[in-house]
Amino acid sequence: MPYDQFSVEQLAGDMLPGATEQQKLATGFHRNTMLNEEGGIDPLEFRYHALVDRVATTGIVWMGLTTGCAQCHTHKYDPITHTDFFSMLAFFNNADEIDLTLSDKQVEKNRLEAESKIQAVNDELVKKFDVADSKTKSNFENWKKDTAESLTKWKSVRPSTLDSNLAVLEVMEDDSVFASGDSTKRDVYTLSFSPAVLLNGGFTDSKIHALRIDAMPDERLPAGGPGRSFYEGDRGEFFLSELTATVDGEAVTFASGSIDSVDGTQVTEELNKKRALETVDGNGSSGWSSKLNAPRHLVLNFETPIDSNSELKIELLFERHFVAALGRFKFSFSDDADAKATQLPFELETVFREQATNWDAKQAGLAKVHYMLQLKDHSDALAELALLKEKVPRRPQSLVMQERKNPTSRKTFRHHRGEYQSPREEVQPAIPELFRANEEAGENEIRDRLELAKWLVSENNPLAARLVVNRSWRQFFGRGLVDTDGDFGTQSPTPTHPELLDYLACQFVENGYSMKKLHRSIVTSQTYQQSSAATEELLSKDPNNLLLGRGPRFRVDGETVRDIMLRSSGLLSEKMFGPGVKPPQPNSVTALAYGNPKWEPASGEDRYRRSVYTFAKRTTPFAAFTVFDSPSGENCTAKRNRSNTPLQALTLLNDEMFLEMARAIAVKSESNAESFSDSIEFIFESVLTRPMNSGEKEVLGAFYESQLQRLEKDELNAKQILAMTDANHDGDLNKRAALTLVARAIMNLDEAITKQ
Amino acid sequence: MTQHLANKTRRHFFRECGVGVGKIALGSLLASSVSGSRALAQEADTFSTHFPTAKRVIYLFMAGAPSQLDLFDYKPKLKELAGKPIPPSVIAGQRYAFIQPDAAVLAPCYPFKKHGESGAELSDRLPYLSQAVDDIAFIKSTKTDQFNHAPAQLLLNTGFAIPGRPSMGSWLSYGLGSEANDLPSFVVLKSGAALSGGAAMWSSGFLPSSHQGVPFRSGPDPILHVGNPQGLDVQCQRDSIDLIQALNRKQQAAWGDPEIETRIKSYEMAFRMQSRAPELMDFSRESKATLDMYGVGKPKKDQFSRNCLLARRLAERGVRFIQVYHAGWDHHSQVANGLKTQCEETDQGCAALLQDLKQRGMLEDTLVVWGGEFGRTPMVEASTALNRSLGRDHHPQAFTMWMAGGGIKKGITLGATDELGFNVVDTPVHVHDIQATILHCLGIDHEKLSANYRGLDVRLTGVEKRRVVKELLA
Repeated sequence: MPYDQFSVEQLAGDMLPGATEQQKLATGFHRNTMLNEEGGIDPLEFRYHALVDRVATTGIVWMGLTTGCAQCHTHKYDPITHTDFFSMLAFFNNADEIDLTLSDKQVEKNRLEAESKIQAVNDELVKKFDVADSKTKSNFENWKKDTAESLTKWKSVRPSTLDSNLAVLEVMEDDSVFASGDSTKRDVYTLSFSPAVLLNGGFTDSKIHALRIDAMPDERLPAGGPGRSFYEGDRGEFFLSELTATVDGEAVTFASGSIDSVDGTQVTEELNKKRALETVDGNGSSGWSSKLNAPRHLVLNFETPIDSNSELKIELLFERHFVAALGRFKFSFSDDADAKATQLPFELETVFREQATNWDAKQAGLAKVHYMLQLKDHSDALAELALLKEKVPRRPQSLVMQERKNPTSRKTFRHHRGEYQSPREEVQPAIPELFRANEEAGENEIRDRLELAKWLVSENNPLAARLVVNRSWRQFFGRGLVDTDGDFGTQSPTPTHPELLDYLACQFVENGYSMKKLHRSIVTSQTYQQSSAATEELLSKDPNNLLLGRGPRFRVDGETVRDIMLRSSGLLSEKMFGPGVKPPQPNSVTALAYGNPKWEPASGEDRYRRSVYTFAKRTTPFAAFTVFDSPSGENCTAKRNRSNTPLQALTLLNDEMFLEMARAIAVKSESNAESFSDSIEFIFESVLTRPMNSGEKEVLGAFYESQLQRLEKDELNAKQILAMTDANHDGDLNKRAALTLVARAIMNLDEAITKQ
Repeated sequence: MTQHLANKTRRHFFRECGVGVGKIALGSLLASSVSGSRALAQEADTFSTHFPTAKRVIYLFMAGAPSQLDLFDYKPKLKELAGKPIPPSVIAGQRYAFIQPDAAVLAPCYPFKKHGESGAELSDRLPYLSQAVDDIAFIKSTKTDQFNHAPAQLLLNTGFAIPGRPSMGSWLSYGLGSEANDLPSFVVLKSGAALSGGAAMWSSGFLPSSHQGVPFRSGPDPILHVGNPQGLDVQCQRDSIDLIQALNRKQQAAWGDPEIETRIKSYEMAFRMQSRAPELMDFSRESKATLDMYGVGKPKKDQFSRNCLLARRLAERGVRFIQVYHAGWDHHSQVANGLKTQCEETDQGCAALLQDLKQRGMLEDTLVVWGGEFGRTPMVEASTALNRSLGRDHHPQAFTMWMAGGGIKKGITLGATDELGFNVVDTPVHVHDIQATILHCLGIDHEKLSANYRGLDVRLTGVEKRRVVKELLA
């Protein structure tokens, strides 16, 4: 994929017309910001910090500018102003940060299988019912009749006014309310039902005895709702702390209440009532909550029935140490003095409400299954169903951006001193003024993320192509033509070869942003193909090889160190795609992270996949990479450090992961030795990809002999070195162990981890 | 040209080899020139701006935030107001993690008493520390900006609430180099519950990774991979390294790359680290009196005590920054019980460390710092949904820390809070000021220790004007 198209999709794939799943997925790029989902945080504060990081990252990657500098104030001699910074931030501020559910054929297949198993258990119950004795059947008919009669009649009512502290509330066609926009740890919704609306609800003559709140799932909500919780709590969880009602300004009290039993709780009526009334007990820390992504409902009975021609005002308080407001809900009212929450599953309640008789097989099935499960002799089926429901695989999800539309569009403000709590005047999305020179190109009209993305990889942005060229150059030569990769500003060092940089950048654009063509032209150049050997003269005149009088020579990145060893050992798996895998590393590495996550090393092929597939946990990065300067991923890092430390030596020498590879090379050398003068030569060539010279042969041979002698004298334990647990083996273990030690030594040579 | 010079200084080499390359080691590498090693020492101290009063820091980090109101900051008024809401004039506009602003006041859970000549007032949960108060400077007026654990812990350690900045120990390693011959210059020890801030708290951020804190594990191999693999003895390791060195030298001759020379030295130092590690972790040579003083082997949990003793041993071996984390102070519920347990686990170790350092004459140049990431509220936390009662929520507005040794005044109390312990009313000390003071004790001006990152000269103490708390300095 050409780099310009790639960039647009990474930044704004969701906004492309008819965006595909892949294009939406690409916007995960800017979701890689650090986030804090600790209970008790102010979620909007950390969203703000993420936005700040997005501006800085975009600046580094596509503009070669340290845009992050201007977060707190304008710098006297820098062209990017404080306002520019927040205008850039505005491009990213108008997106919802959602989990996109992905289509995956295998998962869908597994879901269908799991659901059919559930269906089979249900079918079995229906079958059992159909052959049951007449007593069971007549009991069922009685239950059906009682249930239908005892169902409270409700009338949903459309709120006449809606208000909230922050969320945008809108009334849907079915009279339910949907909440979107931002949310906090303490959300308050205020709804009113005016006389006219109540009258339209049909309450012309009688008093209103009770209200019912339905918490309703909606695919737009986290995990389908009904709540808005997206961190700390379960996704889609809600917690209604307090409900306060006033009639014509007078406070109303509640005498009773009830909650459905969808979550499987079997409690006494008294306890159920107590729980329902926790929403009106004046204690914000108690209330009604649900972690199920399923419809729930709560009923509250007025102490004194209210007149239907009065103005009813209801305030809902959702207060938790995380966001827990309702995302979609509906209010209904009843004139029934005994109004109650039903204890039926939601689908079955619907069946009863739609028609009391003449059910089709499916409707009847639902009722029969429910009825049978209430009977004691089917508790096994109940347990089995619970187990099977847990086993239904979840659909994979990924973090993406989704641009907001009115009315939830966010406003952006300049923040005084860059602080979250100090918003000042509103700013509009715009590229930095410095770049808005080209009016004809419509640069004053760049107003959203997609337009920004297109501009960044257009000819009007002079930097994007140069940055790519420079990054590629660093990959091949260990140093960029400009040494500060993310900073091409006025205060960064000048390019060592400015014309070369320009030439390659222009070629890159002319070649349709083809990375492959760029790489080809670099690696086929004479400069790249020079020898890396440094003569005394070159070393003294140009110790850092700035002028490229010799080829590159540098220690490769940590991930490449591992990949080289995997390749040399023949263990490398070339399997591509899919989720990250865990190569072996000691458990103590992750032990200090929050929650003490276990690191279960993969077995089989996944153990040996390329390092790009290694599972990355930023709070405890993979130790063997970190020690070789791989960045933690907390910040956008345009240029890695390259250190040379004793901890690297200890890792390559003693890390079990590398020892496993040394053993593999030793084993391989035994079977491949024919084409080489001996096993040592095979090992040497496998790792260093060149024949060994006579001097090397001599010292390696001597080492091998001396270690073999020690092994034969039992001074060293071959089985332990080879990590053998069972007694069955063939071949000479001492020789194999000695070869393992040879392989380990060769893997530790400077040359093995150095590009030259 | 300036670029080239900057890259080629020995200082650069020194920094890149942060782990394990001590001044002495490097001095011996450059043994041919005595002036060379002297020059090196000067260069390595480029960031040092004045004569230090401390050579090293032992930072006892009480993660989770202990309640200052039940340990150090005695407020009789809370007893009087217990059960009543905090006046709205005090609490207006504050953000809290869990509780609501109308929460009632909770009285101190334990009795307080004055101790020592200095008359410092401590609760009865700290019997051991009470004996040491005349060596300590208490700061009752510490403040922070963050009201949740991970951000507040990061702010204290890295000067920034979001992960990714260099931690204090990394800054010191970067700014002063290493004194330790065979050990990292920044070591992290841990006991108790999990740490919210995670590895970002000892990260080197955008500084070279060689400056990052090295978490020690318990057992004879404290550093990852410092033990030989199974079946391989010291002789075999020596033979292997000899072989590696011989082959690398041949490469050095052929390619002329100075990096090969550095790698040869890294392998030598790795071997030395391996030889020294088991001895470091072996407490058998400590006297019974010392072990008893720390409470090593006591029936209650002794991991923190062990870590305090290990911290002293690391300090003796030249480690610059030793951070001893103890997590488990987050007492949202039943603060009295929680404090009882945590104090039993930690009080003796803290006091013993001070006494031990003093006996060995090391307290003079070792700065000991104790504190959490914020304080706890004068208001009670109770929640039906979370099944919490008689707890205290996070309180960034005021908390107590203490410092001792390394140029800190003895037996003083600095700063004060209002009668509710809610706000600081005298000598506010921001956590950035704490950092500035620690750097000052080590001979560094906090405004001069900076590194360029994304175009800014970034400092540990941030961009606001911060101060060294001179009132603490002896």
